[in-house]
Amino acid sequence: MNIFRNKKHPLSTVAQEIRLNVLDSINTAAAGHIGGSLSSVEIMVALYFSDIFNFDRDHFILSAGHLCPTLYAVLAKLGKIKYSDLSTFSDFDSRLEGHVSVSVPGVEYSSGSLGQGLSFAAGLALGDKDRHTICLTTDGEHNEGQIWEAIMFANKYHQGNLINIVDLNNQQIGGTTADIMPLGELASKYLHFGWTVETINGHDLFALIKALKIAKASTIYPACIIAKTVMGKGISFMENDYHYHDVKKLPAALYLQAKNELSNPTY
Amino acid sequence: MRLSFSEALLKLAANDPNLYVISVGLRPSVMLDRFSTRFKARFIECGVAENNAAGIAAGLSKSGKNVFLCTYSCFSPGINLATIKQSICLNNLPVKIIGYHAGLLTGELGASHQMLEDIALMRSLPKMEVFAPIDAVETYKMAKVLAKSSRPAYLRLVRPSTPVVYPGRLGFTIGKSPVLQSGKDITVLGYGPVLAQVFSIVTKKSLEIINCSSLKPLDESTILKSVKKTSRLLVVEDHQQNGGLGEAVAALILKSSLKCRFAHLAVKNLFGQSARDPYDLYRLHGLSPVNILDTINKLCSR
Repeated sequence: MNIFRNKKHPLSTVAQEIRLNVLDSINTAAAGHIGGSLSSVEIMVALYFSDIFNFDRDHFILSAGHLCPTLYAVLAKLGKIKYSDLSTFSDFDSRLEGHVSVSVPGVEYSSGSLGQGLSFAAGLALGDKDRHTICLTTDGEHNEGQIWEAIMFANKYHQGNLINIVDLNNQQIGGTTADIMPLGELASKYLHFGWTVETINGHDLFALIKALKIAKASTIYPACIIAKTVMGKGISFMENDYHYHDVKKLPAALYLQAKNELSNPTY
Repeated sequence: MRLSFSEALLKLAANDPNLYVISVGLRPSVMLDRFSTRFKARFIECGVAENNAAGIAAGLSKSGKNVFLCTYSCFSPGINLATIKQSICLNNLPVKIIGYHAGLLTGELGASHQMLEDIALMRSLPKMEVFAPIDAVETYKMAKVLAKSSRPAYLRLVRPSTPVVYPGRLGFTIGKSPVLQSGKDITVLGYGPVLAQVFSIVTKKSLEIINCSSLKPLDESTILKSVKKTSRLLVVEDHQQNGGLGEAVAALILKSSLKCRFAHLAVKNLFGQSARDPYDLYRLHGLSPVNILDTINKLCSR
């Protein structure tokens, strides 16, 4: 149960469907970054299925390209690609590359090499000031110096139409972010760099949507939303375990357990 | 070259409201002061942060702008290769990367600033086209052509003023290497001012001089036609031997089954160093007119 709210958001059923599709596409491919894909589900659901932004006009840049199973599942739900495409994830003759690719309809930026997306988003926001550009980065990605270069740039150019959502799940491929390279208090860092910051529970759709509305209203300052999430959210044995940053094929019993837990969410 | 390119940018920007320049903290040195005051809103200063600058350039290009990324080649692509690869090439965005201060001619700034690996890096990237003008005249012509190109491109410029040899009547076409001087004894191939030196060489040999300023795409038919005629080929470049034009042309000749005597004058797996007279470095690394003439004589000796 969500300890903060009793009421489930109407979009929580969409999030549940996306999670199941993420699990299935990765398990069918026997390869994929499931931990971060699951932690970012509500973020992408809030972006694409609330009416705050319209991604036929506004821009979404997935800087952390390995989270693409979630974006692909969102695009299938939107009808940009077919549901049957999801089972071709990362296969030889599939458009659904293992790291996000513009070969997939609805994707604006090919990535995979971390730390580049925020610069790209800032450039796009600079050239298209009438629209919003929303970038999704991760906490681990903030190891990259280029992220901080982009943070400074967005402040200099008063990019009120730029939003960076940080999926902060405290894990990266080889351990916790605290062990690998401690970020410290991220919100104050963004504040000192001249951004507005909202820190929220990244699985709370009410909070996400509210934060997105506030961020959209910022006209002078670039806006950062720090979404505190749980890596592997929804599958108990994966949650907060960096060993599930990425997976090969799950043993049948674990797959069934994962499917069962995602089908009957307790959060 | 620098001045010529900045003149071209001023003229192009006056006619193209979509033309943007990305500066990376070296505005005076890449001669963009006038652009920055005349087109203030289209002059984007990123500070000394080459990876971000390449990403900003790519994003701006995605929004439909005509973007020139201007800084020293030792930093771009020297520092930001991965961003150029992913954000520009993989996303197939027609950013024009202008690499200033390339080669040994950077002189007193020394090894860190003498970019000798840029051609190798840039010609290995899918989608990327690579150009290196021989002088200020060709620089101006290239700038006009590149501003209209819908593909990513790298343009290599050098620091000092260099002699002008490019015929004013000759245009520039992507993928074409004009024969600047016809001859029958030996083909001399290269790019940039190091090739321009060949015009100062006095010899009884009949030299065919080809300006390979379009390094990628390479004008294979012009090169093969010339080598078929002369059977002797000298490639000269102010760049590492590894990954440079010489390797590209050697592979081309081998695949063609043409018989040809071949020599390659380039920097041999070494770093540069400071020199007040940059041509001292050409003498040190075997790229001077005397070295070129010696090599021509050797190749023509049998």
